[in-house]
Amino acid sequence: MHTSTHTNDVKRPDREHRYKPQVANPNSVATEDLTPDYMNILGMIFSMCGLMMRLKWCAWVALYCSCISFANSRVNDETKQIISSFMLSISAVVMSYLQNPQPMSPPWPTY
Amino acid sequence: RGGSQKRTSRLNVDTDNNEFAEFEEFEVDGDAPDDVNNVYVETEEAGDENYDIQDEEEEDAIVEDDENEFEHFQDDEEFEGYDSDRTTVNRAENKEVPEPRLNITPVPVHFRSNWDSFYLEMLMIAGLVVYFINFFSGKSKNSKMANLWYSTHKTVLEDNFSLVGDDGKMEIESRGLIKESEHMYTLWCSGRTCCEGMLVELKFLKRQDLVAVIAQMMKPSVDQIHIKVDMGKDDMDCFVFCVAAKKTALRLSKDMTDLSLFCGERKSGEKLGLPSNFSVMSEIGEVSLAILDSKVMAIINRYPELIDYIHFSDQYSGPKQQEEQASLTKLPPTKKVLLFGFNIQLKGRTVHEAIEQHKPLLNLVFYCMEKVRRYRLSKEGKNKADKNRLKVEEAFLKTTHAARAEAAAARREEKRRQEKERILQEDDPDKQRKWEEKEMKRQMKKKAPKMKQLKVKAL
Repeated sequence: MHTSTHTNDVKRPDREHRYKPQVANPNSVATEDLTPDYMNILGMIFSMCGLMMRLKWCAWVALYCSCISFANSRVNDETKQIISSFMLSISAVVMSYLQNPQPMSPPWPTY
Repeated sequence: RGGSQKRTSRLNVDTDNNEFAEFEEFEVDGDAPDDVNNVYVETEEAGDENYDIQDEEEEDAIVEDDENEFEHFQDDEEFEGYDSDRTTVNRAENKEVPEPRLNITPVPVHFRSNWDSFYLEMLMIAGLVVYFINFFSGKSKNSKMANLWYSTHKTVLEDNFSLVGDDGKMEIESRGLIKESEHMYTLWCSGRTCCEGMLVELKFLKRQDLVAVIAQMMKPSVDQIHIKVDMGKDDMDCFVFCVAAKKTALRLSKDMTDLSLFCGERKSGEKLGLPSNFSVMSEIGEVSLAILDSKVMAIINRYPELIDYIHFSDQYSGPKQQEEQASLTKLPPTKKVLLFGFNIQLKGRTVHEAIEQHKPLLNLVFYCMEKVRRYRLSKEGKNKADKNRLKVEEAFLKTTHAARAEAAAARREEKRRQEKERILQEDDPDKQRKWEEKEMKRQMKKKAPKMKQLKVKAL
């Protein structure tokens, strides 16, 4: 099915409009993907409780959360947030091992 | 010096050639020590005073093997001047109080000693490595697919649009696709008859995120292409029309404000000759007949699994906003748009074939643009459409009356306050007095009781 309008040129350079990201899809915010933000907050919480309560598995989960939020991050997100969440979770892991180098006890009770 | 001297010397001789001599020695004596500790304690009582000298000799002779390297920690002997069974008399209550036990707390074993107990940590690190391998492979697959889509459709786009690919900056640096995120790419084209611009949004699966890949295995979904064509003011007549797969139609009719307001019920597609899993929502009956002509029907019947939804609307204002309607003071801005949603079916096809399949669909978009521009509603269709819009307008006005009244009152209050300030700043006293009198009278009138004053004639 070819377009029959090739005879007269359909291009109208005068009707050109520049791309304005907000105007183009203003309500894209509603359908925006919120996973990176949720994962960021979750990572923050896990690394806090990993640091505070010295739970190693919390620190590791925090590290995973920041990886997931990095993978899902949007390009126009500023990278500061991603870097800070990574720093926080890595420091949680390192601190929990510095305090006591015992191997990690898994969250599920081991008999 | 007696028994303990003889036993310990024989002890030294045997240990040279037989490492377990010590243990055999103990069986012969008939006492049953469970570990070396008891032996020390026992000999200690037998010959207390000359114990230290023998102890040094034994130390040199016995080969210290690794296990009991810290054994002496547990041995009370290590502490000078401390005898575990000596009792001190507590003068106050003259009760015998046993000497407090002194022992060294067990310090955790250091890192290097046993790596294999860190199996969970190794598991975690392996998980991270797998995650990042999947991240890079998913990211490259998505970008390859996006570039492939762009290269196959580039010629058609450039034939139709004078501006293809715009990144919104002052002067356009990158002409091609804009990468929104690892799984989302957009392309803006403009400069064509009968449309202001066209936004193509490639919404792929999140191949770069392992969690999403696993979720995708449980609940399969498809890569999608969303095309949004902004129509010019006079390029489109007033109607709302949507043909979509059943599930999508249900979702759209709930989410989209214009569909829920204007399109009543969902008709099944069979009546109009569409595949069974399609349903049609149209504000005006004649529109669906006009739009679904032979060409469009041919495409839909040939590629039913590729088409997700086709949604034309002149009252498009996007999905419903969350905050409740009452607080809105005016209707959300509406636009004339044509929306298309296509699926990329990769099952059983190479990426190239799957993308190639989408060429006729892009031509469908251009065909629909021309069609909608030429299409004009009939007289009664036009009346019905206008009636609908008025109905919606009034319904909106009624529901938001309270909010708008408040807004108006606030504006009036604001105006009066500014006027008062202006008057106070003026230094002319009598104007102020006159204004205040007026103000007082107005307040009095407002506060005065509403009922009528009756004139009673004096008798």
